[in-house]
Amino acid sequence: MSRSTKKGPYVDEGVYRKVAAAKHSGARAPIRVWNRACTIVPEFVGVNFEVHNGRAFAKVYVTEDMVGHKLGEFAPTRTFKGHTARATSAAPK
Amino acid sequence: MPRIAGVDIPSQKRIDVSLRYIYGIGATLSQRVLERAGIDPAKRAGTLSEDEVSRIAGIIETSHVVEGQLRRQIAQNIARLRDIRCYRGFRHMKGLPVRGQRTRTNARTRKGPRKTVAGKKGVKEMQR
Repeated sequence: MSRSTKKGPYVDEGVYRKVAAAKHSGARAPIRVWNRACTIVPEFVGVNFEVHNGRAFAKVYVTEDMVGHKLGEFAPTRTFKGHTARATSAAPK
Repeated sequence: MPRIAGVDIPSQKRIDVSLRYIYGIGATLSQRVLERAGIDPAKRAGTLSEDEVSRIAGIIETSHVVEGQLRRQIAQNIARLRDIRCYRGFRHMKGLPVRGQRTRTNARTRKGPRKTVAGKKGVKEMQR
């Protein structure tokens, strides 16, 4: 079920404050965040983030298209390296 | 044979059914369009007068996105998800379910026909 519109989007206050501060001071350094559930609001456009994926930080540069998505959507938590390639049909019975 | 919204040529079926041959028009929308046009849904498509056909066509063209335009819109939405490299975009690229369904079993609609892997548990039993 989607979130009630009455509540508005979930934006983490700490993240929002950091973005506001960075914009105010003009700092370009990426903002490190763990809050993957935080929705990207228009104010975030043009900001560099480093979003935690459970192990490392993924670099995310926010563009206009990303508004409305959550930060975590851009930092994949799983690494799939493919299935093991078995010797095809040559395997003895 | 009436022509509505481009190439679509419904048939000798009831008009409410034949409208559904247009991509983007289902049961509900077909019903609503006919209601607005004031046409009996039980009428056969072929028996409609020119005026009635153009009334339907007008309603569909002005207030609904159908056919090629709709297909393009959907493709664009997916392309956007790919371009921003978000999770849903990855799932589209890989041809896996997008909305969090399980993939350990099922998910055949997205994954296509089963690709049996030799040597995996269960394969030997299948051959017997």
